[in-house]
Amino acid sequence: MFSVIFKLAWKNSFLRASRTLLVIVMIAVSMSMMLGISGIYDGMIENMADKNQRSDSGDISIYAKEYRSQKDIKYRINRAKEIREEIKNIDGVESTVLRVKAEGLLSTAEKSSFASIIGIDLKDEQIFGKFSEFLKDGEIDFKNRGALIGIESAKKLKVRIGSKVVFSTQDVNKEINSIALRIRGIIQTTNINLDKGAIFVNIQDASKFLSLFEGEAMQIAVMTEDNAVFEKIKNRYPYLDVKSFLELNPMIKQMQDMTLIFNSITFFIVMGVVFVGIFGVMYVSILDRIREFGIVLALGMNYKYIRAQIILESLVVGFLGYLLGAVFGAVILIYLRDYGVDFSSFSDALEMWGYEAIIYATIKVSYFTATFIAIITASLLSVLIPLKKIKKLHPIDVIKADV
Amino acid sequence: MIKLQHVNKYFYKNEAREIHALCDINLTIEDGEFTLFSGASGCGKTTLLNVIGALDTIDSGKIFFDEKEISLLSEDARTTLRLNEIGFVFQAYNLIPVLSVEENIGFVMKLRGFSDKEIKKRVLEISAMLEIDDKLKSLPNALSGGQQQRVAVARAVAAKPKIILADEPTANLDSKNSQKLMNMMRELNEKEGVSILFASHDELILNSVRRVVKLNDGVIVDD
Ligand SMILES: Nc1ncnc2c1ncn2[C@@H]1O[C@H](COP(=O)(O)OP(=O)(O)OP(=O)(O)O)[C@@H](O)[C@H]1O
Ligand SMILES: [Mg+2]
Repeated sequence: MFSVIFKLAWKNSFLRASRTLLVIVMIAVSMSMMLGISGIYDGMIENMADKNQRSDSGDISIYAKEYRSQKDIKYRINRAKEIREEIKNIDGVESTVLRVKAEGLLSTAEKSSFASIIGIDLKDEQIFGKFSEFLKDGEIDFKNRGALIGIESAKKLKVRIGSKVVFSTQDVNKEINSIALRIRGIIQTTNINLDKGAIFVNIQDASKFLSLFEGEAMQIAVMTEDNAVFEKIKNRYPYLDVKSFLELNPMIKQMQDMTLIFNSITFFIVMGVVFVGIFGVMYVSILDRIREFGIVLALGMNYKYIRAQIILESLVVGFLGYLLGAVFGAVILIYLRDYGVDFSSFSDALEMWGYEAIIYATIKVSYFTATFIAIITASLLSVLIPLKKIKKLHPIDVIKADV
Repeated sequence: MIKLQHVNKYFYKNEAREIHALCDINLTIEDGEFTLFSGASGCGKTTLLNVIGALDTIDSGKIFFDEKEISLLSEDARTTLRLNEIGFVFQAYNLIPVLSVEENIGFVMKLRGFSDKEIKKRVLEISAMLEIDDKLKSLPNALSGGQQQRVAVARAVAAKPKIILADEPTANLDSKNSQKLMNMMRELNEKEGVSILFASHDELILNSVRRVVKLNDGVIVDD
């Protein structure tokens, strides 16, 4: 029986090849466009999250309580160095860094602006977040009071490689203190807080400058893929402010939630295209064939086989559209992953929000599984009305008609 | 055996243009009959075949197909009855346009689950008898009316149903082909015991059948 159904389905689809092909291409194009857009959108957010994690918060950041709201160096982690060693030993922790930070005033001979001095250990930062990749200009060198400055601060203060700057702030003893620094490199992290107001120096120099005790720091950042690590640290150091990446970056959380909405919308658009496309083709094709259905019913072919035939036809169209769309989509995504999309004409606006000028797409298997489900579901739904039409068909009305 | 009791069939019932297509038909058709329904155009021959073939519904009365009362069967059960017991030769041929002549002739056999080998053999046998074996690969619309009519006959007889309902099977045939067709029908009837009911005003059929039921305006006037 299947062979009869298959033969009728095949011959009919073949007879209407151009119509069928049009719908297949329509499905494929809308699907691959949706895949490309999803990939770019996810890529944007992932890129942003990735840069933020690598340059600042990691997956988890630990501060003294009150530090984040007060930004006062009196709220510092006293045993930071020991705690870091303890955290390193927790299963699932990949890397950690210590940072010393203070707010103050950064000045050149002509200009000044608010900034944070951030003391870092270059070797640790390299392991933690490939810090050297953030270098935009100059070199990474902290020798002889060398310092690195965020790209926006550099523009604002008109600072160049080799410029001398002075950073002033209160040390832990409430004494006003200044440090003269030589700019060796310009950093672009696309993390707006850093690019707009950070000057990086050697962690030892920063500690000395702020008169910190040995082992004190403002931040411990942790990289881990293991979700359990967060709870472990939180439980172990209840007196510290332990925050996850998303807690520290509610905007990224929001954007991720938006992606979900955004992706669902595109998902439904594709489903709509598939639905309308297959519905149109099946409906017309069924109207065309009403006589054929009447004849086979009269000859004794059961309605359920006619139904199977129509479902088969629509599934084949949907599936071919999916296959073609998956191939197109994969090609588009791979291209966008490797070459990216250049948004440089809007790059100022984008970088202000932490995006980069060139966005590289993310590729997720879920794009393909989700569209598969969407297309198959839409294919099945689209034949319901045409099937209803056949269900109501009386063979007698059809076979009486003249040739 | 088929039995019609007080069968009435109307078109446009309760309207001004109401047509009483079958009036109180009482008729028994035994197994193995070779019978003609004759009468002027519009007297109800096709309608009678359609109600016997479980294709059309009736307004009152009863039709028994063997022991089953047709009007009590579900739509699906009537479809299955048509498939397994009845071969139709429609007045308007009703070939399946997307299938070749060969596939059309084998269609009912295929639905009934005959093997491809059996189908092939039977299709060749019947198409040779009806002289359409050179058209097996053609599509129906490439055939003349008479050729299409022979394909329709071939499809109806191929699966060896219990009863064949043939509506004007010779309408588009010349006398030579008509004669061949009637010889084949008679052979089927006599050798295989297939009941055959014709609706026609063809003299040739009139002269071949064993029983003639004459209709006039939906009434049996002679049997
Ligand atoms: N679907 C229909 N709707 C309305 N009237 C119909 C329908 N089918 C048949 N009739 C009418 O019923 C009557 C009997 O028609 P039927 O087709 O049975 O005649 P027939 O004897 O087969 O004629 P012919 O020899 O021309 O084929 C005719 O008056 C016809 O107009
Ligand atoms: Mg007729």
